[in-house]
Amino acid sequence: MAILETKDLTKAFGALTAVNGVSLAVEAGTLHSIIGPNGAGKTTLFNLLTGTFPPSSGRILLDGRDITGTPASRAAHLGLARSYQRTSVFPAFSLLDNVWVAAFATGLSWSGLAWRKTERYAEVTARARQALADVGLAGRAGVPAREISHGEQRQLELAIALAAAPRVLLLDEPAAGLSPEETRKMVALVRSLKGRYTIVLIEHKMDIIMSVSDRISVMHFGSLIAEGTPGEIQKNPEVRRAYLGGVAA
Amino acid sequence: MKRPIVLLLAAVVLLPLLVRPAIATEIWIFAIFGLGLNLLLGYTGMLSFGQSTFFGSAAYVAGWLLKHYAINVFLALGIGMGVGAASAALVGYLCVQRSGLYFIMLTFALNQLFFFTAYQWTSVTGGEDGMPGIPRPALAGIDFSNPLVYYCFVAALFLAALWIMRRIVESPLGRILQAIRENPVRAEAVGYDVPRFKLLAFVIGGAFSGLAGVLYAMLFGIVPLEAIGFVFSGNVLFATLIGGSGSLYGPVIGSFVFIWLSESVSTLWARWPLLLGVAFVMVVLFLRGGVVEAWTRFWTWRSSKPKT
Repeated sequence: MAILETKDLTKAFGALTAVNGVSLAVEAGTLHSIIGPNGAGKTTLFNLLTGTFPPSSGRILLDGRDITGTPASRAAHLGLARSYQRTSVFPAFSLLDNVWVAAFATGLSWSGLAWRKTERYAEVTARARQALADVGLAGRAGVPAREISHGEQRQLELAIALAAAPRVLLLDEPAAGLSPEETRKMVALVRSLKGRYTIVLIEHKMDIIMSVSDRISVMHFGSLIAEGTPGEIQKNPEVRRAYLGGVAA
Repeated sequence: MKRPIVLLLAAVVLLPLLVRPAIATEIWIFAIFGLGLNLLLGYTGMLSFGQSTFFGSAAYVAGWLLKHYAINVFLALGIGMGVGAASAALVGYLCVQRSGLYFIMLTFALNQLFFFTAYQWTSVTGGEDGMPGIPRPALAGIDFSNPLVYYCFVAALFLAALWIMRRIVESPLGRILQAIRENPVRAEAVGYDVPRFKLLAFVIGGAFSGLAGVLYAMLFGIVPLEAIGFVFSGNVLFATLIGGSGSLYGPVIGSFVFIWLSESVSTLWARWPLLLGVAFVMVVLFLRGGVVEAWTRFWTWRSSKPKT
């Protein structure tokens, strides 16, 4: 059954229709990739799904429930967590505090919000440490985020999303700007998360997409032009023309 | 964390021996005011240029009740905190949706609105003449009209306020506010309603300002019109930045420096704010963390020197 669904989702910024009538169904437990050339509307779609701004028309369903228009701060509580294409962390915080603040948001209870000391929330801290361990940053917990390498920041970016204990993980180009070696590690990381979460992945690097995806949707000028398994997408002539071009030919 | 507390306690004991009790008292009152501002400025990253709105409103309301209804001191303080929090909720509600320059100008403009209301409403506030005749009623046989007794009372309240503020900034709320300062977009995305948390910071800061306002009115027996004016808003901002907005103790040190300078140097030289201006420029250019940063830099420098 589809856990996350969009029905005829459209977002227009003035004359530009960034997302145009997108109907997408993400099956629970799968890794569903969204590909498309730059400016195809992939990140705008993520912004709509996580409530950064409301759609112009269309609906978003989570577990069949209409969540259209949910503000961004509620999306995490519904179980939608995202990572950003451009690293977006809390620079002055230690890595642990970065994930801690995300883990607390979706924690069991906010009691003692303004009074209890942060170190007394053992359950939150445990989840935060687990999220750091999941991305391989357990040994760097005390280091300020502004002092780590770009590759580590990409891992942290992912850890903040994981710390929310989401049901659906929306990853926006997790390997953006990484070296080939770092990219290999990131791919292994994303693969290790498969099955534990339903993942929606935006990615540019075709080798990553083809090796990890269960299903692929292709966006072009704001619209979905194809959907299928990696094998089907590779053979689809329209996709080749729009996106793969000379690369896969 | 132990050392600042010891230093602070020593300062509380020694201060009335070094300066007049009224000045010593004013230092701790201003420090409470600064603590409230710093929750907004240092922790949440909101530069409020209208803190005297809450300080002055609380001083007027509680002062008026003290004067005309001879209410209990603690009731006056409670009402002052309530008025501070309520006026901050109102101002905050209008301001938190904006950011940057618009936010600053809005806090300033609303401050002016409150100022001119107090200025015009002479039957209650006394306008330019201020609201004189505010008593310091005795409580359970303790005579607050004795300057030293009142000093001890204010110093105790300051320590309590500092302790409460420390608990707040070390709680999840403190961390969430700092997360908003660091990256509001991500803070929203991980699940925090950013405007609501900003509003909460305003309300808490307003309660601290209100407490300071009432103590101030009782200290001098008058609510001067300046207590709700923009110069006061600027002063607390100056003091906090000079002390260091990045730390809990910054506004306390800033208040100490600011009040002490203004009281001691102003008698020698009428244009003393010039000195303050120079100090402010130095802090902004070279020492963003204020006195607190200078202090930590000095100690790192000293400990890094090889011992001979």
